[in-house]
Order: sequence, then structure tokens, then C-alpha cells
Amino acid sequence: MASRIRENWQRQVYRWMRGRIKPANQVKLSQKIIYILPSGSGLVFITAIALVFIAAINYAVSLAFGLAFLMVSLFVLAIFYTWNNLNRLTLSGLPTQAVFCGEQIPFNVMLSRDPGRSHETLELQFHELPGQGQQSASHSHSSLVNLIDADRDQVRVFALARRRGYYPAPLLRISTTFPLGLARAWSVVDLNMHCLVYPKPIPFQMEEFTSGAGGNDDSTISREGNEDFYGIREYVPGDPLKQVAWKNLAKGQGMQVKEFVDYVDSRIWLDWDMFYGFSTEERLSRLCYCVLQLAKRSAPYGLKIPGIEIAPGSGMDHRDRLLRALALYGEAGVQR
Amino acid sequence: MEVAYQIPRASLQWILLSVFLVIAPQSIYMPIWITLIAFSCLLWRYLIFSGRLNYPSRLMRVVIVTFTLLVSIAQMRSLGVGLESASSLLTLGFVFKLVEMREKRDIYVVMSLSFVMCMVAFLYSQSLLISLYVAACIVVIIATLIALNRSSLQADARSTGRMALRMALQALPLTIVLFLVFPRIAPLWAVPVQATGGTTGVTDEMTPGDLASLGRSSELAFRVQFENGPPPLHQDLYWRGLVLENFDGSTWMRRRYRSAYGTAAERGNFQFNWENRVLVQGEPLQYNVILEPTQQPWVYGLHLADPLNRNLFQSRNFEIYNNGLISKRFSYDLRSYANNQTDLVLLDSARARNTEIPQRGNERSIEFARELRGSVNTDRDFVYAVLAHFRDNPFYYTLNPELLRDNRIDDFLFNTREGFCEHFASTFAFLMRAAGVPTRVVVGYHGAEYNPYEDYMMVYQNNAHAWNEVWLEGEGWVRFDPTGAVSPERIELGVEAALQDDLAFMEQSLFAAVSGRFSFFNTLRLRLDALEYEWNRRVVSYDEEVQVELFERLFGEITEQKVLLLLVGLASLVMVAVGLSVVNIGPRRKLDPVTQLYQTLASELSRIGLARKTGEGPLDYRDRVVAARPELAELMHDFTALYVAINYKPPVQDEQLARKQVKVLKQRLNNLRAALSPLRGSRAQS
Repeated sequence: MASRIRENWQRQVYRWMRGRIKPANQVKLSQKIIYILPSGSGLVFITAIALVFIAAINYAVSLAFGLAFLMVSLFVLAIFYTWNNLNRLTLSGLPTQAVFCGEQIPFNVMLSRDPGRSHETLELQFHELPGQGQQSASHSHSSLVNLIDADRDQVRVFALARRRGYYPAPLLRISTTFPLGLARAWSVVDLNMHCLVYPKPIPFQMEEFTSGAGGNDDSTISREGNEDFYGIREYVPGDPLKQVAWKNLAKGQGMQVKEFVDYVDSRIWLDWDMFYGFSTEERLSRLCYCVLQLAKRSAPYGLKIPGIEIAPGSGMDHRDRLLRALALYGEAGVQR
Repeated sequence: MEVAYQIPRASLQWILLSVFLVIAPQSIYMPIWITLIAFSCLLWRYLIFSGRLNYPSRLMRVVIVTFTLLVSIAQMRSLGVGLESASSLLTLGFVFKLVEMREKRDIYVVMSLSFVMCMVAFLYSQSLLISLYVAACIVVIIATLIALNRSSLQADARSTGRMALRMALQALPLTIVLFLVFPRIAPLWAVPVQATGGTTGVTDEMTPGDLASLGRSSELAFRVQFENGPPPLHQDLYWRGLVLENFDGSTWMRRRYRSAYGTAAERGNFQFNWENRVLVQGEPLQYNVILEPTQQPWVYGLHLADPLNRNLFQSRNFEIYNNGLISKRFSYDLRSYANNQTDLVLLDSARARNTEIPQRGNERSIEFARELRGSVNTDRDFVYAVLAHFRDNPFYYTLNPELLRDNRIDDFLFNTREGFCEHFASTFAFLMRAAGVPTRVVVGYHGAEYNPYEDYMMVYQNNAHAWNEVWLEGEGWVRFDPTGAVSPERIELGVEAALQDDLAFMEQSLFAAVSGRFSFFNTLRLRLDALEYEWNRRVVSYDEEVQVELFERLFGEITEQKVLLLLVGLASLVMVAVGLSVVNIGPRRKLDPVTQLYQTLASELSRIGLARKTGEGPLDYRDRVVAARPELAELMHDFTALYVAINYKPPVQDEQLARKQVKVLKQRLNNLRAALSPLRGSRAQS
């Protein structure tokens, strides 16, 4: 019960913060957005101050008063220092590689400092909500950065990819307790980072779906394979040397390469309707699995999902195009 | 899964160092076995750190907690609930926590306790040495905290230490302000102050032979600074401590009052009408005394001393008592009257008390006294006769007198004839009383060493002395010092001069003796003591009274609002200043030289009443200036034209040319300035 209230409250706070924090690619921390409070260790320290102070009063020991006041001053100083450790630090979001749903997204954050300043032991962590989605309260690990010698440093901060699509990074929390650990200063920013999240691939017996799915049995030739000899053409810089026809070169016919091709029995079409009866997400997940499997082979494959048809092809770029299409399926306005 | 917290290796070394440092001074006062446990815990932790031992198991922890509980119960039974048992308990808890700490929170508990341990060190001693030591400890503790919060591998111990030192120094201003301004609060509850170590100094019983042991100690008893005028002559420095009135044949004792020392009841008992018993003349001598801890309730003062502190009060015999034992260095102010007469009328009870001698024993001395009294007319003459007897017969002043047997007074007077001051005082008082002259023994200190570096006097334990007060008709109590009759050097030059050839004295105060002979050491000793004295006077004795006095001198009458205002005002002022030194708000925008020159011109013009308005363009400004001061027209036009040319046209690529332009602009500004200066003068005249 209590945990539910707490969860609810956290959600409220999160929503409030989301509404308040404006996304920007680059944020420079300043007094308006840096918050500071005594840390747990700070509370222990405050208890110690009280102890020393009471002893000073009761034994009327002048120097114990001095000690208590010194501790108070240190505490105040720690607040200044800790706050200053975040002040005027610039954060900017960098592009992120796509991941599959359910994986940790390594968001790249660039931290840079103003000249002549240094920042130590900065903890970066995504402000994730417990219970959001299916994942129970899991603290994502914080990443540590120091800006002592270098003017800038890039850090990876991980967030769980909870759904496919153009996934916005959660609010990023940067905090520090340096130098004394008595106070914690933090700021929450939105660096407007996004990550393309592919559907989570669901493995299954693929053969029954893809064999002969293309319809006809005409052998087609896909360009550039390495199984069968196809012919000879002029050398183009960048061709593998092992394909150079050295004999022809020796004959004085110039630099020529032997071309090999793969023979495929059919072009494979991945079709939305192949998974009739599954829900949209399950279809996408299975299609995703197919794409990954087919990408390992050399056979060209195409994709047909409602609204999108991508002609068969192969290679990494082609794979990514398909995955992207799967990831963004149904997302309004991002048909890129 | 959360990875278990790992204490950074670099910081663990710092932790061990700071724990070692804060325990070390306590080990002097704690029972030896606690010290041993503390250091073995440190070692244990070190072994855990280096991987050779494991953390304590659950069973071990239970054993340890039970053990600590038992120890504390045992200690409270033997020592009582007091400082000593509390501090050893704290130490045990502290080191056990050290062994079992794993989490970051544990470390903070240990480090916070380190601060508390520093405080405990102050409970025992607040000397300059300890203060400096604790200051060093605090820097190490800060460094430990920094090391704990550092993750960088580049951050080495040296930079951590440097940062700690910087933070400690930056914390000082606010500390000082709070120390000066923060109101001192009266103790919340009475704490049992425990005697740490034995009592020192003069005791309230005197058996001949007692002070001789003090006479060998070159420890400091107290320091005195005279506030109005120069200090009295050495021979007049009789620091009166206690009056001993009861004599049982061997020991002189203080008259016991009905209740224990330092209670309110006793205080009530001491209240008497000062005016009726005292006649004083002349200006009082005002001075401040800083007494080393004695674990006794009485304090020392010259002649007839009137205490100025709230907690001090006078007894019927004009001794001065503190409301409680002096368990730490104690500073107090006194006002003394050199010319005084007390108790011109002696009460019968007092007369009876001060003429009483044991009924039996020392018959020879009694007979001698009565005979001598019969041969003179007045009591005063009788005093002189006895002193003459000491002077004219072979009496010796020494720290190593022969032991006295059965009839001690007889033995001393007619047989051994060698003794320290208490022998003479005791015998003198006995003889006086035997003849019916009211006499009492006074114990305290005599003499002092002058420290020229801070203009104060130092009184050592070997200055301990005993003398007498004789009640004479029409004069009241008059001080006589029979030791002076035997050894005038003791009174005029001090104990060192008197005992120059006394082997026992020299043996025991070797350092003092050496330092006395070599001026370099002597200077060093005096200088160090001067530092210590200043530290005590200015910092350690800064209490509520001093604070109130300081405030009253600076701000007049004290009200709560004033104190609060001062506290808040000063503290926030310092906080802002320190904050600004730490927090870097942003680099000040450095103006380019051209704009700087223009601003200089604007400020020059503002001095003749032509300040530039905000947002006013350079051309508008020029026109306005020219309209007001037509004589500047040409110069203003030249300057503004160039300024506009540089500032509002695309920047010149050629650097040399740009520099030349600035140079010309500067030249034109100087021309303008030259033209302006007479204008300023005329304006001032008109």
C-alpha cells in the first residue's frame, strides 16, 4: 500500500518535472536548475555536530564550541563546493545507435566544462520510474565522469528500451556529492535524446514460413556473391585482391577481377500476413527475427507491411532499413 | 542486482590514518587495555584491507557488543558515570565500528565520530599543542572525506590533502565569526566532572615535608597578567591560597565547613559583611589569572583579593573559592588591595581557634615560647623575637630536610634545624599560639617569573610556599614570613636562587635549570609559554562573560535582538564572501580595449555632469556633449568618429592596423582628457 502511494507520488513528480523541463540538445547547468539537499551522510554529520555542541555547552569547553562551529562551517562550505561542482557544466546529447526492445540503450552524453574549472565524480543516471512498463523498480546504474584534465568527456548512460519506436530518453539526472559527501547537488535535464528501438525479436521455427514464400522457383542472380564464377570485369579500386585474375594480368590483359555470384532459389518476401492471427507487436517481433536471420544469409529479402513495401535486397543498410520500418510501424509522423 | 559497495582503497588509508590520529591523544588518559584494544582494532582493519583477515562474523560481533556492555558497566561501577568512562566507551564503540564498516554510511558514522573524538581531546586539555594537533587531525579527516568521494584515478593523495587544507582554511572565517558571536548557553544539565589524574598544587592539609615535593616540580601553576600598572615587587608576590587553622601536632588543616565544597549551602555560609571586617586604602591592583587545572575548588590571589567573576566567592578567611572543582584551565579576574586591614575586631571563637595547640607534646617549645613572650612587651615584639631566633641560629632552608620524630616542633626547633618553608611556618605558628598570640598558616605560592614577551608572570609549582598571619591588636591580621628570616634570597630572588646549590632541586628541574643557564633555551621557553598564554587568554578563556563584556564594549547594552542581528548579519556576510570565493558565478566579461576606452571617456565626462544615458548611442551622446560644451566639439567629433569606425564597421583583418587604430583612439582620448581637466577644475571652483 505504502509502496503504491509512493509510486504514485513519484509518478506525479515525474510528470510534473517532465512538464517543467524543456528539452534541449544542450543544457548548461546554472543556479536555476541545480538543487541541493543534505545527503544521508550529511545527516549523520549533523548529528555529530549536535553531539559536539551539547558537550561543549555542558562542559563549557571553549574549543569544543570552536570545533562545533568549524563543523558547521565545513558543512556550509561543502554545500558551496558541491553546488559549484555542477555549476556551469554543459551537457549535450549525442546520437545513439539503435537497439532492440528490452535491451539497455547506451545513450551518449557529452559533458564539457568552462575553461579553468574542474568537475569531479559526477554521477549520471536516468530518472526512471519504478513500475513503468513491465519492469519492476530497477535502479539503472549510474555512470561516473570526471572532468579534471580533459575539457570534455563522453559518457554512456544506460536506459532500458521499454518499447519499440522512436524512444525518447527518460529525464537525465546528474548529481554529485563531491567533495565531502555531506550534501547532494543534482539537476534533472532533458537532452532531447532519442533512440530507435527495434521490436524485440521473437525466435521461432522460421523455415515453414519463408520457404517458397516468394512464389516462383526461378533462379535469380543476386549481384556479388562468392559462390559461383560468373564472369570477368575491369578492376575497380577496392576490389578484393584475391579476386584479381592474376593470369590475365600476366597475359597483359590489364587488371581484371573474377566476378562470383550467389544463386538463390527465390527472393524472399516478408509479409505482414505471414503471421495471421498474431497481434501487431507479435507480428513485428517475428518479422524482426526473420530480418535478423535473413540478414545472415545472402539471399535478398523484402518486406511488405501495411503502408510500406520495401523491395528485396541484402546488405547491412537494407537490413537497417527494414528494421527501421518495423520499429516505426504505426508511429504517426515518423515515416522516415 | 546492486553491486556491493566497495570502499575506495585510497580512502581507506586516509580513514585508518585519521582514526589513528584521533585515538592517539586519548591513549594517554585511557586505561592501557582500552588503548591496546583500540590499536589492535586498527590493525585488524588494516589486515582486512590488505586481504589477510576477514570481517568479523556475526558471532564475533555479538561477543564484541556484549564485551563492550560489560566493560562499560564495570567501568561505571569503578569510575562512576563520568568523562573517563564515557570517553573510553566512545573509543571502544568507535574502533569496533571501524572494524565492521562496509557501507558508505558506516564510514560516515566513523568519520563523524572522529570529530567527536577530537572534542573529547579538548575535554582533557585545551593547550596550544593539543589544539594544533586537533587542527591537523581535522585536515586529515576532511581529506578522508574528500578521498571517499573521489573516483578519479588521477586524484592522488597530495591533491586530496591540498584540497582538504584549502577547505579547512576557507572554513575558518565563518568559524571565527560564530565563535565570537554565537551566544554561549548555560549547561543543560550538570555533568559530573571527574578528576583526571591526581590533584596538583597546594592541598588543604600541610604536613611539613609536603610542599618540598612540590618544590621539585617545575610545572606551571598559573599565569598572571597585571592590568593596571606594573607588577608588584618579587618579595610582595604572596599568592594567598588557603588558610590553615587546625593543628594536630603534625598536620595543619583547613577549617572544615559543614558542607562539601562548592555547594550553594557553602556559598550562603560564606556571605558576610565585607565592610565591617575590612579596611582598605589605595588603588586596587587589578589582574587576570589563568590557573592550570588543580582538581581543587580554591584559587589564588594576592593580599586581600576581591573576585570579579560570578562563580568565585570569598570565604570568612578571605580565601577564594570556585563554585566547583577546577578541572580545566580556569581564567579569573581579581582586584587586590595591598594596604588592607582585616578583622580589627577578632571574634572570640576565631581567637580560640587560632590559639589552639595540641594539649600534649612539644613541651620544650611551649616553654621556650612563653619565656620569650615574657621577655618582650608586645605581640609584635614577640614576632620579631621569634624571627630573630630563626635568623640568628643555624637554621637551614633546604628541600631535603631530615625527618622529624615524635615531638616534631621540638625536634625541628632544637635539633635538626633544617627545613623547607612549611617547617618554618608551622613552627612559627606553634610558638605564637603557645604564647597565646592568634596565628594561622597560609599556604599558596610566592614569587613568579616574568615573561617579557607577553608581559605576564608565570608561577610554578616550585613556587609553593607557606607563611603565617598573626593577629595584632589594632592591626588585624598581619603577614609574616619566617622563611624570609632564614633565607632572604627565597623571598627576594625566588626559589631558584635560594636553592641554587640544593642538589635535590636541581635534579628534579633539570630542564628549568639548563634553560635558566643558557639564554637561548630560556628565551625559547619564555616565548613558547607566551604563545600558550596568549592562546589561553584569547581563545580558551573566551566564555560567556568575556563575550558579554566584549559586546558591551563594542555595541553598548546587549539585547537579544542585537545579538541575533549581529549573529545573522555577520554570519551571512562571511558566508556570502566565502561562497563567492568558492562558487564561480561566471568569468567576468573582459571588455575589448576599444569599448574600454569609450567607457573611460564616458566616466570622465560624467564627472563634469555629462554622464552617458543608458542606451544612448555614441552619436547622440556626442551631440549632447557638444551642445553642452561646444569647446569640446572638435575633439569629441574626432574621437567618436574613430570609435564608430572601429566598432560598427566590419572588423579590420590586418592586426597591425587594428592595433594602430586603438593607439590613435587612445591618443584622442588623452587629448580629450587634457581638455577636460581644466573644465573639472572650473566646475569645482564655481
